[in-house]
Amino acid sequence: MSQPEDKDPLDAVLREQHPYIEDDGFTTRVLAALPPRRRTWLRPILLLGATAIGSALAIQWLPWENLPSLDASTLLSLNSQVLLPWLLVLSVAASLTWAVIAAVQWED
Amino acid sequence: MSFTDADLIARVLSREDQHAFGELVRRYQSPVRSFLARLMRGDTHLADDLAQETFLKAWRKLHTYRGTARFSTWLFGIAFNEFRTVARQRKELALEDIDEGSSTEPVQSATDSRSDLRLDLTEALKQLSSNERAAIVLCCQNGLSHEEAAHVLDCPLGTVKTNVLRGKEKLKRRLPGYQHYESA
Repeated sequence: MSQPEDKDPLDAVLREQHPYIEDDGFTTRVLAALPPRRRTWLRPILLLGATAIGSALAIQWLPWENLPSLDASTLLSLNSQVLLPWLLVLSVAASLTWAVIAAVQWED
Repeated sequence: MSFTDADLIARVLSREDQHAFGELVRRYQSPVRSFLARLMRGDTHLADDLAQETFLKAWRKLHTYRGTARFSTWLFGIAFNEFRTVARQRKELALEDIDEGSSTEPVQSATDSRSDLRLDLTEALKQLSSNERAAIVLCCQNGLSHEEAAHVLDCPLGTVKTNVLRGKEKLKRRLPGYQHYESA
């Protein structure tokens, strides 16, 4: 990489006569002229809100009292009448968990 | 704790962190404004307007900064483009080409004080063409290599070297206080 010659005395003059310009509010003016920030908080808030509503509805509407009991023999029997309600509960819980994780880890 | 330019840029890109961008502006406002003031032949108001537009453009285009060059070099490139746009609108470049080299008279009288030399240098720089002035300010005052200056000015490396040499020769002829300063 070629560099400007250091031995030329004019370089020393130019370097020394290079004024520092005080900020004097310049940075503030630049920041004031920046476009408004995008609302990056809006999406996680919406996700968390939807998750809360989804959780409330799930607690209210899922047939918790009628869920068949689970044990090893019923799991192995692959009885759809036993497993389907549990799959429904698990899928709702997984969706709500995913929404919470997505909201917490959201980056624009 | 002092953040590196790369840290600040990452914060701006990931969170639109205006405080981080403000720190970048604070770091580079002086060289960018000074560069533009030299190019605008001392019109500090217009230079500051261009500097502000430079930083606003940097904010909008920061995602295109690849980190292969120094951040200051990238900023100087935007600043020079801003200057070129205004100069084209004002047809200053064309006029400069005609005027270039027309004045070889020394500026003011020979002085030996540093403040007078600063004024003489400012006047002498105004008499250079914009390309010579830009090359001198970037390479000799801001410490950019010729390659970096060629990148900023979007011209061949040889052109930058020629402009630096030619500009310095003109400055030496036009700076009567230069020899006094040299021996001081």
